[in-house]
Amino acid sequence: MKLHKEMIKLNQDVATREEAIRMAGQLLVDNGCAEPEYIDAMLARNEDVSTYMGNFIAIPHGTDEGKKYIKKTGISVVQIPMGVDFSDPDTDEEQLVTVVFGIAGLGNEHLQLLSQIALFCSDVSNVAKLADAQTPEEIINLLDKVGEN
Amino acid sequence: MSETQSKSSVKAKIQKFGTFLSGMIMPNIGAIIAWGFMTAIFMSPNGWFPNKYVNSFTSSMLYFMIPILIAYTGGKNVYEERGGVVGAISVVGTIVLGFPWASPVAQGIVYPTLYPYAANKSTGIPMFLGAMIMGPLSAWCLKKFDEKFQGKVKAGFEMIYNNFSQGIMGMIFVAISYFLVGPLLVISTIWIGHGVDWIITRHLLPLANLVIEPAKVLFLNNAIGNGVLVPLGIQQAAKVGKSVLFLMESNPGPGLGILLACSIFGKGSAKSSAPGAIIVHFFGGVHEIYFPYVLMKPMLLLAAMAGGVTGTFLFSILGGGLTAAASPGSIIAILLVSAKSAYFGNIVGVFGSAAVSFIVAALIYKMDKSEDGGDLAAAQGQMSQMKAAAKGQAAAEEDSSSAETTVASYKDVQRIIFACDAGMGSSAMGASLLRDKVKKAGLNLPVTNTAVRNLKDEPGLLVITQEELAERAKEKTPSALHVAVGNFLSTPKYDQVIARLKAASQAAPEAEIKEEKQKQVDKLAKQKQFDFDFAAVKEVDFIRHDQHRGTVTMASSMFKDAMKQAGKKTPVKAVRINELTNDPSHLVIATPAAAKNLAVRYDQIQVATVNDLLKTDELKGLIEKLK
Repeated sequence: MKLHKEMIKLNQDVATREEAIRMAGQLLVDNGCAEPEYIDAMLARNEDVSTYMGNFIAIPHGTDEGKKYIKKTGISVVQIPMGVDFSDPDTDEEQLVTVVFGIAGLGNEHLQLLSQIALFCSDVSNVAKLADAQTPEEIINLLDKVGEN
Repeated sequence: MSETQSKSSVKAKIQKFGTFLSGMIMPNIGAIIAWGFMTAIFMSPNGWFPNKYVNSFTSSMLYFMIPILIAYTGGKNVYEERGGVVGAISVVGTIVLGFPWASPVAQGIVYPTLYPYAANKSTGIPMFLGAMIMGPLSAWCLKKFDEKFQGKVKAGFEMIYNNFSQGIMGMIFVAISYFLVGPLLVISTIWIGHGVDWIITRHLLPLANLVIEPAKVLFLNNAIGNGVLVPLGIQQAAKVGKSVLFLMESNPGPGLGILLACSIFGKGSAKSSAPGAIIVHFFGGVHEIYFPYVLMKPMLLLAAMAGGVTGTFLFSILGGGLTAAASPGSIIAILLVSAKSAYFGNIVGVFGSAAVSFIVAALIYKMDKSEDGGDLAAAQGQMSQMKAAAKGQAAAEEDSSSAETTVASYKDVQRIIFACDAGMGSSAMGASLLRDKVKKAGLNLPVTNTAVRNLKDEPGLLVITQEELAERAKEKTPSALHVAVGNFLSTPKYDQVIARLKAASQAAPEAEIKEEKQKQVDKLAKQKQFDFDFAAVKEVDFIRHDQHRGTVTMASSMFKDAMKQAGKKTPVKAVRINELTNDPSHLVIATPAAAKNLAVRYDQIQVATVNDLLKTDELKGLIEKLK
């Protein structure tokens, strides 16, 4: 599978991680990947176990029970250049996130893209490229290259 | 000395095999009881409340449900759910060969010589034995296949590989079971039947039990009872009004004796479950329930044989016999169909056989206890192993642990599993990162991901989870090595894991350490020397630039972290270029291009130029000198 232009939102300013997750989830809902209830499942999962992955990346996705609200597999991208703190509000540790990947995964078809994202984002300067990207195409191309070598 | 050693190891092997066999049956006892009671209660015409509609599907439970469940369990014991499913597929090939009503097949079109049972439409071979062979066999082959190929699957194709390898393996094995294993089973069942037949015609009735009892325990009770003994018994009963042949397989005495002995002298779960089994066996007539007890301790076959021989002997000399088949073989059914003159002989025979098998079984249990030396040693070995595993676990948690202990435990790692909550995202990302690193390190280890709830405790496992899930993962896999990471993407732990695995596999940790040291030296060399008026600096700034807003956010955050770690208090800010004041209290970190822009606007500001804002290593020297 590939990322779709319509599912990438650039230059967003959000104040809280909840807002960021909702935005990524809304993209999934708007593009017919999930029912609106899935967003709540995404928030629930993040409460349970943080979806912060390190390197300024978060990959919010639903809980196991939330899988029933997924209509088809899809990945959304929300770029937040100013960053948003994904850490637990109770702690004073900061977990800044600049790129959010919202995931609705049925079966395993999203795993290849996810693994590309993981390999790409394991280098923080690559994350910076995603966080600086000016057009959706730039993000798609950046991630596309990963599989090639 | 060596002889006794090899003897005890043979014994241990038999024991292990028996446990393996009963491990397929035990989880399915409930299904066997359901079928047994349905049969006892609703069988027409001999049931307690005959009902031909219910009766019509109890046989489907016997021929399909139970073998498929056993094959699934057998496969699952070998290779989890994946093995279970392939096992369930495979057994169908034998089931159709044993099923009495399966149309063209059982009619003898494919294997005409194999179906003496097809003519007698009430008796087939419930393929329990087939299930116990095909389930584990196919699962084992799939496991071996996966070990060879699963690691080589490209990311994203796992599902395709998993489903198709499973499906194709199932297809191959269902054919093997239909064309090879099934016919062999049918032929051997026929031969066992012939053997019993031969003994009976020689009037050596009690000796027939030497064959019947072992065959029963291998779930051939139905084939022997209904396939051989009942038809012969019907002929005899038609002539003289009763027949001992009906009793030879359905006698619940031997099973009763074994279960009684187990509930008194047995140990563990076998001991505690035996009393319940007695009721199901003796009054419900579901003999299948005692078979696993025998399989667990194959020596008990002697008890069953002794009991069986005694029973048949007593029935013969005391004039016992039934007017019709007692099915199921419960004491109630036996009394219901006893010939009027035969009550005494039948009751004495049943309880006599129970007494004999009880005594023999009790002796076997006792003997085993007194010579527990071997078992004890094994148990001790296990204990020390568990201790070692626990040590390894602790070592994995502490990063500062000494290399020696970790090497010992990392040596045993055979596969790495990433576990997360849903198995949907984070663990998959972590797994692909580590898989990449494992490959680059030249290690040959499969790295997979799963949901925590699907974790299964098995040897040689290294489980990687997020800290929040570490507890749950440990509960699920107590004997595995565990590594908990803060986040899956940027963690130094992967490299530690790789280094330890490498050290364990190559036993050359010195080289690793050297390499590591060299890297540190390189890093130090990279640090730039900065020459600024550090006393004046009150604030470190990064410049927000329209084209690189994300980078600056990240760079300032990383710099902040580094400062915090070094215990420095100077504030770090990301600002727009026009928000600065022109004095040396600002230390701006910028790329060469941005530095040029700065120089145009300000002349008092101190500027540190770096090529890559995100390489905080280079800035270490700067941080050291800041307040």
